This record gives sequence, structure tokens and C-alpha cells, in this order.
Amino acid sequence: MTIIKGHVGIGPAVEGIALAAHDNFSTRYDLDRDRGIVSRPSHKLYGESYVGRILVLNAAKGGVASAWMLREMVIKERAPLALLLNDANPVMAQGAAFADLPLIDRFETDITAAIRSGDRIAVDPAHGVVRILSE
Amino acid sequence: MKLNDLEQAMLDGIHGKAAQWAIGYQKSVGTFFDAEDFVPVRVIHVSTDRETMGDSGVAFIEELATMPPAERRPRAFATADFRGFDEETFRFLLPGRDLAAESREAVDALGQLGIVTSHAYVNDHSVTAPGFGEACGYSGTPSVVYMNGIVGARCNFEAGPSSLAAFFTGRVPRYGFHLDANRKATHGFKLDFKPETVVDWGIVGALIGRKLNSYWSVPALEIAGARPTILELNHMALSMASYGSIAMFHVIGITPEAPDWTTATGGRRLDAEVISLADLEDFYAEWGGVGDKLDVVALSTPQLDIPEIVAIAEQLDGRKVHPDTTLLVYAPIEIKQACARIGLVDTIEKAGGRVVHGHDFFATFAKEIREAHGWSRLMTHSVKMVNICEGYGYKPTPASIDRCIDSAIAGKVLP
Repeated sequence: MTIIKGHVGIGPAVEGIALAAHDNFSTRYDLDRDRGIVSRPSHKLYGESYVGRILVLNAAKGGVASAWMLREMVIKERAPLALLLNDANPVMAQGAAFADLPLIDRFETDITAAIRSGDRIAVDPAHGVVRILSE
Repeated sequence: MKLNDLEQAMLDGIHGKAAQWAIGYQKSVGTFFDAEDFVPVRVIHVSTDRETMGDSGVAFIEELATMPPAERRPRAFATADFRGFDEETFRFLLPGRDLAAESREAVDALGQLGIVTSHAYVNDHSVTAPGFGEACGYSGTPSVVYMNGIVGARCNFEAGPSSLAAFFTGRVPRYGFHLDANRKATHGFKLDFKPETVVDWGIVGALIGRKLNSYWSVPALEIAGARPTILELNHMALSMASYGSIAMFHVIGITPEAPDWTTATGGRRLDAEVISLADLEDFYAEWGGVGDKLDVVALSTPQLDIPEIVAIAEQLDGRKVHPDTTLLVYAPIEIKQACARIGLVDTIEKAGGRVVHGHDFFATFAKEIREAHGWSRLMTHSVKMVNICEGYGYKPTPASIDRCIDSAIAGKVLP
């Protein structure tokens, strides 16, 4: 089992299946939040459903929208299970805290290279730790 | 995080339920970013556009507003930017949907909380600004990067719930751009050309944003030629924020914390990467669209000022927008009223354009508007809007306001 350490995060511990790419992330710019898919044509995960997956991406980008949107997505069951980012900006942290959505960032390694789509992983924000359970 | 007596009392619920929620929420965000303590703020800007809040955001604010006043005492001055109040235009843009009615509940709730619902998207010029070095709690990324880079005030992106929390606590966690060390330039850039329009400046911002793509990066830019206007700097800044999550920047010899390279970088030596005219031309080429049928021209983000609307009215005077193209010119309601008094709105409307107040195109159901009208090709002078509207399924073409207007008249994207 591989263990990857990051900064102490936000939200509860969860286990689930990863959806990973090295692209950046914005809830407003990249997602069709009604259908629960990545909608930006130039995004590596274009067309993929992110609902209930542990989304593993590079950096949070863009504006303030994510802070309201993440909670709305959780309530409408159109949210990822957790977010693992190399760099979360304040908006993503504020949104995750508002939504109680698990978020960890600032890993000891490039998290988008360490985890592949389909990996089963455990996310422990309180300790800033991710475990790859099966690859 | 260290809490002082007042902050601890808030956390203990002594100052009401709203402050208790707010300080606990801010503490969790501050802890995530290793903030040592809080910093007081005087002015707050709460991002509250209907689309991003969703029904749950509206319900959250309504719940706060129904608390007894003692449970929800404000501790700062706050404005909100709720959009969607040009009812006539919205009946056209989103037929069958009463967005003003949908928004009214939340606006009433915000007003009850004591938040000034002034409805400007970016209120940098309509509310008394923070001073140099003053901490503030602004939501909109264009406002944050403006306050940090152009005014020299200190702010992180404080998104809707976060700025709402600051309204109840009168403070924000002290991390990021509240700290001297984080305001110094981390990356250097140099232009080898002179941008000619606000679109060119927006593209410079986009190119820098794409290269850095991290909230913690602080670009410093060396330019040649004439001093850029505030509007040009604003387009560059909000584009940096949109494409790269940038919240702080310097322009050497222009912005207040960058009289020279040494001051901007804090003495660190940075090599300046050149942004060339070819980079600019490549960006325009990336979006293309020349010759395509033009569905909509949206001139906003930021909403326009009076000189821009004067120029648009002059260009449209005696001409007609193509019947298959929709021309939308966005302004804060105060600016629209001022323009109406001197005949500009009439001129634009006679030509077939619409002057829209109270919301910003990209920020208010742009995807649903596209679907309702079957639109595809969009032209705009806002490079930020290009970025967002691509995600909403538009084919956007960035172009100067002149070129946008001529294309709207032709009904197709002109070179």
C-alpha cells in the first residue's frame, strides 16, 4: 500500500475511486454541474463523470464561484467524493469547508502522477494522508 | 490559530450564532493555510450572484436573516453584487424564467442582514476603497487582484461564504497576501510590444496566468511605452485571475509596491521571460472564427464605463445591428442612467443594441441563455469572458470593441 503525505486538509475521511489528470480545476469553467461531467473540451477529463469519484487534479484556478457551488453540488448529489490537488487556492478551501467536502493539497509528490484513474484510495484530511489501496 | 478574547468569545457563541458559525468556518480555512491569527477588516464585498449560489446558498442566507438581530450582528461594511435585475432584458435572454423574482428572496435576506445590495459586479469605483496597506475582504477575483496590485490594499480571494463570514466577525484569517513576504514578485515578465487595446492587455494577463497558474505566484511585468490606464491594468489583472488564479501582481514603475525591480522582488533576482507580439497573435489565432455567423456580442466583464459607451454610441449612430446578431452592452445601473440622460442609450437601442444593467453576461446563466437561443459564436472584448464562455459551450472570439461592433453590424465575425 502506497502512502502519500500532504498538508492537513479539510473535511471527513473517505474511500473511493480516483479520477485523475494533470489538468487544473474550476467548478465554473470546467464542469457541467447539472449532468455531473467535465464539460470543457480542452480538459483531459472531458466527458467523464466526476460524481462520487475522488477527483485528482493539479491546481485550483479561476474565480470565487467554487465556494458556493461545491456545497450546492453536494446537496444535489452532483459532487465529487473528495478533491486532491497539488495546489488549492483559498476559494477551493473556502468552498470545501463550506460544503464539508474532503480536500487535501500540497503533497510531497505530484499527486496527479502518483494516482491514476481507477485507483481505489483512502483520503484522510485530518492527517493530510492519502493511501492507495489498490492500483 | 491564535484567537484573542473577542474571537474566542465569538467561537463560544457569546456574540450570537452567526458570528459563532463565521469564526469557526474562518478558523478552519485559516488553519488549512497555516494562518497564525486574524486581521481586522473594514470593507467587505460579498459575491452573491444567483447562478453560483444555487438554491442552497439562498436558503443559507435566508436562514441567517431569520435569526433575531442579536444573533447576527454585523462587524463590517459589506456590499453585495446580486445580478439579474434588468427584467426586460432577462425576459428576452431567458424566456419563461423570472430571474428577478428568483433573486428577490436572497436580496431581501441580504438587505435584512445589513448588506448593501448595490448590484455592481465589480464595485472598485463605486464604494469607498480601502487604503494602501489596509486589509479588506473582497469576493470577486477582479476586485481582489485590483485591490492587491493596483491599490496596494491587502486581500485574499474571500469567496461568497467566506466574505459573509467576515461580515459577521469583522476580520479575516491572516495568510497569503496579508503577509509582506507573499506580496513580492516570484516571476518576471517583459513585453516586447506595446498593447494597443484593452483586449491586448487582457491577453497579456491571460498569457501570464496560463504560465503561472498558481494563486501563490506573483508576476512582475516590465513594459515599455505609455503608462497604461487603470482600465487597461484592470483587464490585464482580471484576466490573470481568470486564467491563472493570480491575486497579486506588479508592473514596474506603475503599481504602488513596484517602484523598481528590487522593491518588487524583495531583492531576489528574477529573469524576465519575454512575452512577444507573436504570443499575442497566437492567442488571437487560437480562437479564430473569422467569417463565422455571429450570434451574440457581449461587452462586459468588467461592465463598461461612460467613455466606452460614448465610443460605442458614436460607432453605432445611424447604423443597424444585423437582425441575426444580438448586441449586449453591460453597465452598472448608475452608469446606464447617466448614459441615458445624455442620449447614448437611445442611440444604441435605435441601432438594435441593448444596454443591460444589473448583471454580467458570463455570471448569470450564460449556458442556459446559449441553449435558449441556440447560440454558438460569441464576440467580446473581455478575455476573461472568453475563458469562461468556452466552458459554457460558446465559440468565443476575443476582439476590440470596434471590431465587435462592426462584426455585429455585418452579422459575422470580421477580421
